[in-house]
Amino acid sequence: MSEKILLEAQNIHVNYGAIQALSGFSLKLMENEIVSVIGANGAGKSTFMNALMGMVKIAKGDIFLDGYPLSSQNYKVVRSGLSLVPEGRRIFAPLTVEENLKIGAFTRKDVSELKEDYDWVFSLFPRLQERLKQYAGTLSGGEQQMLAIARALMARPRVLLLDEPSLGLAPIVIREIFRELKRVNERGVSILLVEQNAKQALLLSHRAYVLQTGRLLKEGLSKDLLEDRDIKAAYLGQSA
Amino acid sequence: MAFTFSTLIQQIINGLSLGSVYALIAVGYSLVYSILLFSNFAHGGFLVVGGYACYFLLTQWGYGVAVSMTGALFASGLTAVITERLAYKPIRERTSITLYLLIASMGVNIIIENLFVVTVGGRIRALPQNTFPTGVFNLFGGVALSASDIISLVTAVIFLSLLQIFLNRTRWGLAIRAAACDIRTAGLMGVNVTFLISLVFFVAGVLAAVGGIFLSVRYSLYPQLGSITTKAFVAAVIGGLGSLPGAVVGSLILGLAEMLTAGFISSQMRDLVVYSLLVIMLLIRPAGFFGKTISEKI
Repeated sequence: MSEKILLEAQNIHVNYGAIQALSGFSLKLMENEIVSVIGANGAGKSTFMNALMGMVKIAKGDIFLDGYPLSSQNYKVVRSGLSLVPEGRRIFAPLTVEENLKIGAFTRKDVSELKEDYDWVFSLFPRLQERLKQYAGTLSGGEQQMLAIARALMARPRVLLLDEPSLGLAPIVIREIFRELKRVNERGVSILLVEQNAKQALLLSHRAYVLQTGRLLKEGLSKDLLEDRDIKAAYLGQSA
Repeated sequence: MAFTFSTLIQQIINGLSLGSVYALIAVGYSLVYSILLFSNFAHGGFLVVGGYACYFLLTQWGYGVAVSMTGALFASGLTAVITERLAYKPIRERTSITLYLLIASMGVNIIIENLFVVTVGGRIRALPQNTFPTGVFNLFGGVALSASDIISLVTAVIFLSLLQIFLNRTRWGLAIRAAACDIRTAGLMGVNVTFLISLVFFVAGVLAAVGGIFLSVRYSLYPQLGSITTKAFVAAVIGGLGSLPGAVVGSLILGLAEMLTAGFISSQMRDLVVYSLLVIMLLIRPAGFFGKTISEKI
């Protein structure tokens, strides 16, 4: 992990009509870092991810990548190096696994290097290679999540964003996926993770932010937050 | 009318030829539906633009058939893109309720129709006789195969194959198929969705123009010619809205049903049979032959 700031969100406000989904949330992601944002349902976690990706309009606030303002247009954000694994996986069910990966590489100009990335995502998730010609809709939930991650990686992102990757998956599959995410990070991809499953997220990430009804509640090193009495009580399902 | 084998063959040929024209129109319809989930009733307007562009390029400006047809396809494609930008995009950006798009498309159709009534007049025109070869081949037992039937069939097959290749073999084709499944997520893949929608409208407009030109040859050209799109719409629903193979199959069924009715019952019963088919289909299999099961269809 370096000390260079890769992605920075400053004072982000997002409103849905009269409802304030985010009221002044700020976050920094260093190069090669894994940062998680934890919080209850409705805290604004997904809204924050969508705001970064240019999927929802920001009422106030700025986002910088490498110190430069990030576009607010979705496809330009992807081209500049952010890739989101959306909540609920959202794989393209009527397309094959191979086509899903291909569309993930839509922005890539360096077609000659694609082979390398296919090999890499297959080394992370070998099951995808076995199912290459299968329709994505026929995969199990865990495999669909793997495909969603692999698809996002095919864009060769600098920042991989994941929105609730553990949702609806069996604990053993969650552990497998989080282990591979660590390997992704070791290849130099920074990761921003949003999770209700606070324990898994804190175990994986270096630092974390706790979001409550659109505002920052707490931030710090993940290992400290794992020991924090309030966090334990509120998010880790343990009494202090 | 007496049942004869040659009449059967004759009407099947006519039915396939008509069905192939419907297919060109229905596929464009279905393509737009698959991406934006609304029935674009301005599709008929695009077809009329194509028909008139071809007519004027041929008769007023004296261009050859190839140039005139190409020009007509571009004119219709551009009309479709402009319609989307001016009438649909502002609505799309404000709401996700597709009913507004449907209503806007009806408005656009009326505008296009009346623009032609006001500018060139409502009279019925015909493309020049020599636009396409007019020869007739006599087959066995008095079955006649006209050159225009062959040309419309072959052209439809060519354009539908090109569309198939575009959708299955190209990068943007893959993006369109992904967007048909989930347009927001297609955006997350770095696809410029605004451009993609314009591209889809352009393709739909081009296909509509091909259909429009053949309809002008088969029948005649007038500002309300676009109303024939209702038939293509019925075909698309029977096949399953949003499904391209469905649109083709539905169109062929419809063309055959119309021509067989005309051949063996009565020409006046054509539409009755067509709409009865629609009602029966909606009762038995509301999603059509190849359609996704979705709650809202119109």
